[in-house]
Formats: sequence, structure tokens, C-alpha cells
Amino acid sequence: MLKPEKMTKVVVVGTKDVLEQTIETLHRMNLFHIADYDESESGFKIGKPHTIASKLSERLVTLRSIANQLGLSEKSSIKGRVSAKELPSVIESKLSHLEEEVSSRQDAIRVAETELKTQQDLEDAIKPLATLPLSLEDYTGYESIRVFVGFIDNAIEDAIRAETSQYELYTGSFDGRGTIALAVPVEKEAEITKVLQDESTFVELKPPKLEGSPQSLLDGIKNKKEELSTRLTGLESERERIKTEYAEFILSSEEYLTIETQKAEAPLKFATSENSFVAEGWIPIDRYDDLGRRLSESTGGKIYVSKLEVDEEEEKHVPIALSNPKAAKPFELLVNTFSTPKYKEIDPSLILFITFPLFYGLMLGDIGYGVLLIFLSWIIMSKVKSGGLHELCIILLYSAFSTIFFGIIYGEVFGLPLFNIVHHGVVEEYGILAINGPHIGMLHLPVHRFAAVQPLLAMTFVVGILHVTLGLLIGFRNVGVEHGVKHAVLEKLCWLLILFGGIMAIVPAMPAIMGSATMNTQDPIFAGGIVLVIVGLILLVKGEGPIAIMEIPTLLSNVFSYARILAIGLSSAGIALAVNTICKDVLFTQGGVFFAVGILVLIIGHTINLLLGIIGPGLHSLRLQYVEFFTKFYEGGGTEYDPFGFIRKYTEE
Amino acid sequence: MVEAEAAGLIAIGAGLAVGLTGIGAAIGEQSIGSAAIGVMAEDPGFFGKGLLMTVIPESIVIFGLVVSLILLFVF
Repeated sequence: MLKPEKMTKVVVVGTKDVLEQTIETLHRMNLFHIADYDESESGFKIGKPHTIASKLSERLVTLRSIANQLGLSEKSSIKGRVSAKELPSVIESKLSHLEEEVSSRQDAIRVAETELKTQQDLEDAIKPLATLPLSLEDYTGYESIRVFVGFIDNAIEDAIRAETSQYELYTGSFDGRGTIALAVPVEKEAEITKVLQDESTFVELKPPKLEGSPQSLLDGIKNKKEELSTRLTGLESERERIKTEYAEFILSSEEYLTIETQKAEAPLKFATSENSFVAEGWIPIDRYDDLGRRLSESTGGKIYVSKLEVDEEEEKHVPIALSNPKAAKPFELLVNTFSTPKYKEIDPSLILFITFPLFYGLMLGDIGYGVLLIFLSWIIMSKVKSGGLHELCIILLYSAFSTIFFGIIYGEVFGLPLFNIVHHGVVEEYGILAINGPHIGMLHLPVHRFAAVQPLLAMTFVVGILHVTLGLLIGFRNVGVEHGVKHAVLEKLCWLLILFGGIMAIVPAMPAIMGSATMNTQDPIFAGGIVLVIVGLILLVKGEGPIAIMEIPTLLSNVFSYARILAIGLSSAGIALAVNTICKDVLFTQGGVFFAVGILVLIIGHTINLLLGIIGPGLHSLRLQYVEFFTKFYEGGGTEYDPFGFIRKYTEE
Repeated sequence: MVEAEAAGLIAIGAGLAVGLTGIGAAIGEQSIGSAAIGVMAEDPGFFGKGLLMTVIPESIVIFGLVVSLILLFVF
């Protein structure tokens, strides 16, 4: 919690005759993050992969290409699991047969597709010619005659007659354009070409070298195309049949081969001598005993396992396994998207677990949208059982609950008031519940967002200051742990002093700045604030040099940045209000058709607003974390913990 | 009359504050954003840094927003 799992570096040493059992055990435990061996370090050599590795990976490539051709993806699921023990013999007998079956089908499909394309091209070429009363053989094969064929939009006969009286012209029309076939003596070719070129709409066609009337050819092509399509459909359904028949085999063997290849290639990461091997790696510290016990069991005690001392340099390479309570797990996704934390850093997932939904709810704050979001995330979660999308939906679910909570405080249901709107003791508009908002302590519900802009704006600044302060405090701790307290004071405490000194100085000065009162410079709070700022500045300049003064406006903009919480909330509530007003006051009062239009506007308007309500608050809540919060303490750049092993989906041992 | 004019001017000022800063930030983010996406295409690990850089000009809009909110609701 708040810190990555504690890891320890482990060395495993054994003789080569137990290498296989060691790898098998390590793989099964899915625990050991192998640290690659660097050959330059000592006399040991990088190990050689097992002899069957190349054979395995060859088969894996074949299998993956088959899966690719059949369109089988890793997301496909099969019933039950296949026993890994039986797979090698099954792969042996089935794979080559399957490969041949699939590739022959694939080739046949490709041939049919090419043929279909050729016929289509031919059809496209002949179709315009079918509008002219000539057979295809009439276009070619002359010595003393030149034939022009093409599209033309304007009449051209007069221009041709002006050049020569010896011509034959046929015209037709195709697809809204004119078609011509024009035969002239060869000696007139140049002149006629010029006439046609001057007529800019002329596009020449090349008649295919075939015989017969275009129409009969077209009929032939049509029949052929039909036949090809039938063949193609047949082949595709056959491919589909193979896919369903072999899906279980392909998915399970791919998994099996992946696992076996991993194991066979593992020695590449080990250091080996002639008769022994050394493997170094990282494991969570509380699993160390378990690892030692399991390894010595599987090798009959012929193995040496020991913890290694980790120096400061090596600490940078500790793989990071985030460890959070189950509820906060999905937020690790957001942290890892930004960057994996370093080993000694605070892992902020747990803080995001609280602040992300909090900001989201503060922004969207509407009971109606919250309920819809719960349904939406629930539907997606039931369809997508794992992976990033599933985790995002859990985050959305938390955010939806927070949205409902703040929806009650704001008193909004799809932009409509939940409680009565009371003005000077008179009910102006009845809410959905038709009761006045209750008093909870100091808070008088509802806090209407359009009416309470000023206090809400002030609240966003308070939220901002708290969030930034939390960030700086964590930053103080991070720097303190990594570089010592002195650095922490110079790098982080100075900012805290400037922040709080600034607040102490500005808040009492506010009335004077607004021009409504004179400034009392003797105010002890104001004076104290100024002193804090000055001390902070001195520390800052001492720590990071005078250039750091340039950074001070950033602190201001960081705090102001939280005003977006209000701004986005107002815009979302504004759109909802606009949609409701259009429907209620304009469309519904007209009745009849307008009533139906009103319903439509209501549905479309709120759907759009809901989509905006997912994107806007989601992104901006995240941005407040990444930009305003993380920059105060987070460096990241750790390596993710990736243990040697595999989580089986389709096979079992 | 004078009051109405003042209210109108305040509204125009508030609009300008948000609108102009929005345009400014958009111009700034345009080139940073395309560069950041280019880097991310090479190495998706730069997402965090890319996002940080891209949203830096946005603080100007926030200043504009705060100014306009103050104009509208405080004056």
C-alpha cells in the first residue's frame, strides 16, 4: 500500500543436470523476474537455448500464421481446458495436415478473388462498348484505318466532316456520357487526333482484344462472376468450418508452444560455465522461502539459492510490483500509463482511488447521469471480463457513485432540480421530490451550482491547495528518502512555505485588492505570510538557483487550474438545463408533433451530454492528477515486474 | 442605462478573456500536441511526459476563466 512490493534479489546456482527442473519450477511459480546476464561482467558465458527451441519456435510461427489466416485472435474463448501432456503428440500429428488444409484453402480463395477482380475489370471495360453497335473484333486489325473509341460529351461530327469526308461514326450513351467509335483513314490520324484533343471532354478507351458482341460477352462475364462468387462463398464457409473445428487445437497449442519456447529459451538469460549455471533475478521478499523450498524439492536439494545484497546502483533496476488493496487496483492502470513508479517512490494508486472519483463527481454531479453511468459501466464490465477496458469501467463505476453523491448535494437529476427551489421563503419551482432541501450541519441542500458560483470557486481553490500540498508533502518524503532531508527542504519544503505564505499574504489583502477597503499592513497574518514567502524564496534560490524564481507562477496556475472543476461542472449542468428548457418551455407547450420532437431532443441532448460527461470530467480529473499532482512528487521510470512464467488460459498441466 | 452598459461591457470582457486565451492556448497546444503524438508513436512510454507538455499552455485559459468568473460574479 502506497509503496511498491518489497523485492529481493536472488541468485540460483546449480549444476547443468538440474537446469531443466529449475527452469520448469521457476516457470510454474511465475514469480522470478529474471535479470539478464551481462557477459562482460565475469568469466561466465550466456547460456545456450535448449536444442528443441528452434523447432518449437518454427512450429509456433506456423501456428500463428494459421491462426492469423483463420482470423482467430487471443480473445477467442474455448470451452474447458486442454491437457498440456497430450498436446505434443497431437501437434505432431495434426499441425502439418492443418497447415496444408488451411493454406490450400487460402490459395484457392486468393485465386478466386483474383479471377473475380479480372472479370470485374473486363466487365468495366466492355460495358461502355455495349452501347455501340459494333462487335469487339471490329475495333482492331486494320492497316489503312484508324479507329478512335472513347467518351465524349459534345457532338463532334461537323468538326470531323470539315477534316475529311471519309469517316464512319457510331455514337451511343453510357452512364450519362456520350460514347463514340470513329473510323478514319490512317493518313488523317494526326488531324483527327487534334480535333479530338481540342474537344476537351474526349477520353479514349482501349477495347479489349476479344471477339463477339459486347452484350454476349457481358452475359458470359456475368455467369462467370456468379460462379466465382459461389465458389468463394463455399471456400469461405469451409474456412469458417476449419476455424470452429480447430479453434481449440490452435489456441491451446499456441499457448503450449509459447510456454515451451519460453522455457527452452530461458538459458539465454542465465550465466553458464561448462557444468553449472547461475541465474539472477528478483522476487517479492515474502516469497523467498517458498522459492527456495520448491526449488530444492524439485532438484533433490542439488541447488543453491541465496539472497543478494543490493547496492544503490542496483536499486534502480528493481522491478516494480505495485501492491494495493483490491479496490484500488484498477487505479494502478492510470499510474502505469503515466509511468511506473521507482522502487523507493510512493505509489499514488491509493490516493487516486480517492481523488479521481472525487474530482469526477464534483465536476459531473448529477444523479441521473450517475445512475446511467453505473448501468453503462456494469454492462461493459459484464461483457469484457479483463484487461484495461474492464479496469477503466471499474474506475467509471466508482466515479458514478461519486457523481450521484454530489448530484444529491447539487440537487440535480438530468439538470432538473431534485429539491424545491426556494427564493426568500417562496417556492419558485417544485423539484422532483417536491420537498425543500434538508439542512445537514452548516450545509443547506441543494447547493445550486449557478447560484453559488463564488463559494464553489473558492472551494475549488481550497481543493487545489490541499491537493498540491499533499503532492508537495509526498514529494518531501520521496526526496528525503532518496537524497536526505536537506535536499527535501530545499526542493519541496520551500514550495510549501511559498504556497502557504502566499495564501496568508493574499487572503487578508483580498478586500484591498478588490478596492473595497484599505490595507492593514500591520496585520500579523499578512506579515507572517510575507516572511514565509521570503524564507521559501531564499531556500528555493539556494536549492535550485535564481532561475527557479521563474517557476513561481506555475504554483499559482496549478492552484487556479482547479477552477476547471467548477467550469466543467457548469458547462455540463448548462447543457442539461438548455436541453430541458427547450423541451419544457418551447416544445412540450405546443403539443402534438412537437411533443414527439421534444422527446427526441430530450433523448439526443442528454445522450450527447452524458458522452461529454464521460470524456470531459474523466480527462480533466486525470489531468489534475497527472499535471498538478504528480509533478510535485512523481518521477517514475521504474521497470514493471514481469515474472518468468505464464498464466494459462487454454491448457492445464 | 449606465448600469446596463457596464454589465454589458463586463460580459464582453469576460467573453474575451475566455475566448482569446482559448485561441492562444489552442495555437500553442497544436504544435506541442502533434510533436507529442509523434514521440508516442515511437515510444508509448512517453505518454505521461507528452501529456504534461501538451497541457502546459492550458494554464493560460484557466487564468482567462478565473478572470472572467471574477468579472461576472465578483464585480
